Amino acid sequence: MSPRRTETGGRIDRLRTIRFTFDGASYTGHAGDTLASALLASGVTLFGRSFKYHRPRGLLTAGVEEPNALVTVLRGEVREPNIPATMVEIYDGLTAVSQNRFPSLAWDVSAVNQLGGKLLSAGFYYKTFMGPAIGPLKGTRFWMFCEHFIRRAAGLGRAGLAPDTARYGRMNAFCDVLVVGSGPAGLMAAKAAADQGARVILAELEPHFGGSANWSGETIDGMPAADWAARTAGQFEGHDNVRLLPRTTVWGYYDGNTLAALERVTDHKEIPGRGEPRHRYWAIRAKSVVLATGSFERPLVFPGNDRPGVMLAHAAERYANEYGVLPGERIALFTNNDSAYRSAVALKKAGAAIVAIIDVRPELSSEMRKLATKAEAEIFSGHAVVATEGGKALSGIKLQRFDMTSGALSGEARSVHADCLLMSGGWSPTIHLASQAGARAVWDAARQAFLPPKPTQRWIGAGAFTGSFSTTEAIAEGRAAGLSAAGGTNTQSTVPVVEAAPGDPDPAPVFEIKASGKSFVDFQHDVTAEDVRLAHREGFVSVEHLKRYTTLGMATDQGKSSNIPGLAIMAEALGKPIPEVGTTRFRPPFTAVSIGSLAAERFGDLKPERLTPMHDWHVANGATMYSAGLWYRPMIYGLAGETIEQAYVREAKATRESAGIVDVSTLGKIAVQGPDAAEFLDRVYTNMFSTLPVGKARYGLMLREDGIAFDDGTTWRLGEQDFLMTTTTANAGKVMQHLEYFLDVIWPELKVHVTSVTDQWAGAAIGGPKARAILATCVTGTAVDNAALPFMGIVHGKVAGVPVMICRLSFSGEMAFEVYCGAGYGTHVWEALIDAGKPFGLVTYGLEALGTLRIEKGHVTGAEIDGRTTARDLHLDWMLSKKKPFIGSAMMDREGLIAPDRLQLVGLISLDNRPPSGGAHVVEQLDEANPHDSIGHITACCYSPALGKYIALALVKGGKQRHGTRAYVSDPLRNRFGPIEIVSNHFFDPDGSRMHG
Amino acid sequence: MAERQSPERQSPERQLPEHLSPLEPALHPGSHGNFEHGVDVILSETKPGSILQLAAWPGEEKQLISGIRTVTGLTLPDGAGGGSTNGVRSVFGFAPGKFTVVDEAEGLALAFADVVTPAIGTLTDLSHGRTAIRIAGPKAEWVLAKFFAIDFALPAFPLGAGRSTNHHDIFAQIQRTGADQFDIYVFRSFARSFWKALCHASEEVGYEVQ
Amino acid sequence: MLITCPYCGPRDVIEFTYQGDGNRQRPQPASQDLDAWNAYVYERLNPAGDHNEIWQHSGGCRAHLKVVRNTLTHEISSAAFARGDHKSGARHKAEGKS
Repeated sequence: MSPRRTETGGRIDRLRTIRFTFDGASYTGHAGDTLASALLASGVTLFGRSFKYHRPRGLLTAGVEEPNALVTVLRGEVREPNIPATMVEIYDGLTAVSQNRFPSLAWDVSAVNQLGGKLLSAGFYYKTFMGPAIGPLKGTRFWMFCEHFIRRAAGLGRAGLAPDTARYGRMNAFCDVLVVGSGPAGLMAAKAAADQGARVILAELEPHFGGSANWSGETIDGMPAADWAARTAGQFEGHDNVRLLPRTTVWGYYDGNTLAALERVTDHKEIPGRGEPRHRYWAIRAKSVVLATGSFERPLVFPGNDRPGVMLAHAAERYANEYGVLPGERIALFTNNDSAYRSAVALKKAGAAIVAIIDVRPELSSEMRKLATKAEAEIFSGHAVVATEGGKALSGIKLQRFDMTSGALSGEARSVHADCLLMSGGWSPTIHLASQAGARAVWDAARQAFLPPKPTQRWIGAGAFTGSFSTTEAIAEGRAAGLSAAGGTNTQSTVPVVEAAPGDPDPAPVFEIKASGKSFVDFQHDVTAEDVRLAHREGFVSVEHLKRYTTLGMATDQGKSSNIPGLAIMAEALGKPIPEVGTTRFRPPFTAVSIGSLAAERFGDLKPERLTPMHDWHVANGATMYSAGLWYRPMIYGLAGETIEQAYVREAKATRESAGIVDVSTLGKIAVQGPDAAEFLDRVYTNMFSTLPVGKARYGLMLREDGIAFDDGTTWRLGEQDFLMTTTTANAGKVMQHLEYFLDVIWPELKVHVTSVTDQWAGAAIGGPKARAILATCVTGTAVDNAALPFMGIVHGKVAGVPVMICRLSFSGEMAFEVYCGAGYGTHVWEALIDAGKPFGLVTYGLEALGTLRIEKGHVTGAEIDGRTTARDLHLDWMLSKKKPFIGSAMMDREGLIAPDRLQLVGLISLDNRPPSGGAHVVEQLDEANPHDSIGHITACCYSPALGKYIALALVKGGKQRHGTRAYVSDPLRNRFGPIEIVSNHFFDPDGSRMHG
Repeated sequence: MAERQSPERQSPERQLPEHLSPLEPALHPGSHGNFEHGVDVILSETKPGSILQLAAWPGEEKQLISGIRTVTGLTLPDGAGGGSTNGVRSVFGFAPGKFTVVDEAEGLALAFADVVTPAIGTLTDLSHGRTAIRIAGPKAEWVLAKFFAIDFALPAFPLGAGRSTNHHDIFAQIQRTGADQFDIYVFRSFARSFWKALCHASEEVGYEVQ
Repeated sequence: MLITCPYCGPRDVIEFTYQGDGNRQRPQPASQDLDAWNAYVYERLNPAGDHNEIWQHSGGCRAHLKVVRNTLTHEISSAAFARGDHKSGARHKAEGKS
């Protein structure tokens, strides 16, 4: 039997022993234990070192609000820091380590910080590291210098470097009623709503349903409350309309009654099931929410209140009743309210000696006196604890007479020998979610607590969350809330009967005992009562400023236990009542949330990607794939030993010499159909489309409303009312939205439908002097000669038995054709074209060669249509129709858009026979030491096999005026400087004789 | 006009090769994931021969619906997202005045050519452009809920009904074709990516690929 | 934030694309009134409170909606088709609360 485990009792499975390690030492516990309860049972009192002073710390709580006992859990190479030991369920092989200590938990060198406590007071960092006004460490440089050392000493757990290999999941859920919390109120709410036939989700952050019923020792319906809770939760199993979510923390309450929750699916398992996510992020959309989140017990603020062995009263009760663990043998209690008396009785019953109950209140009810007698405890009413003694464990306490009204201490200090001190400073409803949902909490003077505000979203509160701390009230409120949330009406039916210890829910308004020594308010961030007062003396008035200056409530526990005491001390310093000081608004998340759960199913292999119909062929035939947006496209089809440049130069050269073929399936394709389709295109494009005959295509340019160029592409007239528009790959989605917007919002009278057909068609562009000959050998059902298929003509035929649509248009500047077929036939047609091309020396080419061919021709893409250039800047003003208005026509001639010194498209030739770099600046005067006076920038560059030179396209001030002049490329980032000549962007075959044939 | 959008405009001849599935290299028939205790979903590609989009001009919806009934024999229930299926053909509304019509056989576009006149609306053949993936089984709703923020419960999503939604960049039309069966239409280029994600998400419940 | 699409029902905001201030009036296509164009292209109301907005249900039925949204609370008091003639397809009424 371990030193602190009780003989009987608790809801652990004593027949199952579980082995785990903490800081390298082996321990055992039982199924149902948390790491905290198992270590406590093994006699461990020291769980961690505090943030700033490295003071030894033990368990303060038994639940999610634990500020002290933060541990790191190791799974293989992966380490997860800052998990409360109270929330870690033990399993065989669990490996956990303590944090913020060096070299060991028991002997920590930084504990010397305690001696310099004054130096590390509130705002220490702000004040100390401002740095001198002059010199090498002026201003923030001094902080940057010191930061390295400070970071090592301060902080909580250390994150690991190994990638997290765990799986995370996401789930969208819908329900009529979401019940948050499964104490008696939550269970009753879920039951009442489920009985009405509502779809219910019951979320409980602990592994077991029941909340306080699991340890209150009360009786409900004649059975132990824990049994009642288990039975009630058990009744939900098998109900189709109830989803039970244990180990699930609802951490965010967002607009539209959308709530975020984190389910810890496998953290308690030695080996997760196949495919099981470690954490599951639940996005829950609830018609109504029942908030039955209970309340947190508050610590009292007095010197030495952080010593290991000082614990919240209910936490000790919980350790005894739920886990069969006694936190001490000689236990004293220090309280300002009645609830601690029940704890005293429970611990006495579990086998501890209750050596004293110190109550700040001078008068006690006869009921409390009876409970104290039952606990065989000596009562010290009108007293307070003024000091604690001991090192890494408590050995005793000191009390003094205390005047609750004045706060004054008097009389001789008296020592009491105790190894555990339980404190209760009253209870704060867990209103975090209600606060996130939008409204300000309301101070209740009787309860000395902030109560939930009036709902601004569709939620109903129940139980301790509303300030109704008794189980009888919780049951009644829970039932009413569940009924109401499900839209039912209250009927007379029997409500479970509760037998509980009596008690007044209102505490005495005492938060702090002022005596000498460090009195902690925020245990996790080491903020003392004196820090709060110092902040006040230094002029901090607003509670929001106080929080940031002292860091009170800003640790991983977000001040669950410290907020109210901190606020009360601030209020007293300000001489204002608490409600006038106000409280900070709670923000999500309620507890720490794994980043993995938020990124679930969105990264790595699960990131969506788009593949063309011929993707597998490209990969099988040696293509190096390149991601272009979500698409994957061949960059080059490299031969063994080729560099990228050698490969694309070979591909481009072969295309100009014989023929090349490229997959253009990624081009955006939009079916524009309907009686007004031609009219619509006239309004959308800068040039005319209504005059385009059926069976012909035309190059078109679109502007934005502000007159800036938007996108270009060819549009094919397939029928009188039937057009196929192509867009650039990158802009396909934007153009689609643009068209839809105008049809839906601006011109609803136009009868036009637009549909994305990008994926319907596989497209191959085949170009080069031999392209027509290749097609002639493999296309059936139509001629492809100049008469049948003139420039920009469209014919329908077949390739290898598959219907195809062929349009003679060119991006490469060669005689070229785009061959479209149903995507499911794409590879079939592609292979047939390649077979047909073999005797002609046809090559496959990728994006790099495609870019090379278009740079040689001076054609524009998204690199030039960059959202800043106009049609004129790109020398496309010939496309601006004067016969009709179009989108952008009214704005495109504004002064700034026609200024002569605008950046205009030009060509550049490298004069030092080295590649210029994309994005590099163009300058008139080279100054490598201090580059300045950019006249433009390079948008695209390549080695041109046609010219035998490195060339580039660029946007340069004054553009055409500079043709034939010299300038320099200036790229200090990549250290590339050198002379260039500015020329026309049409490097190759400027009159298009090759294309027109 | 409409049939020009169809690659089969010449008439669907028998010697045409099979459509190559975009899923092929990622489709592994058999049981996968946590299947030792049985598979809870079955994934398959239904490969319909025809997937059409029919869209009516405002005011012409009833004409179009009646045309759909004439051609397919399927009656569309009232209201947004309504649909029906007979196992061979399926139809559902996915946007105001717009419907997806699916047939196991190829060539449905031709059958509609005379029905969807320019006065009523337009027809767009998407038989190659969309990939149809079926998920069936007791955990179908569970697996789909991982991807799409819509309510898959039967009362909210009745038999035959259609929904337009998306998962990240993947646009999807979903029709409920059984109490625990859904047909998902995704853009062909995204299909393999979505299929892989669907398999991944099905692992925890155990899945079979058919 | 949820927007109740008249066709698809309440959907998460991630399915929607904001398409700008719904108070803008596009001048007649042939208008040469630069001030009017300027107002249409560049001027935006920025109210603290109810605001007329255009949203596209881009991840759903792709219809454009006229939405009245409170910029302080995200409360959406109405969401209707931008096209008046889509009424026949409507199924959902926007709920008072977002």
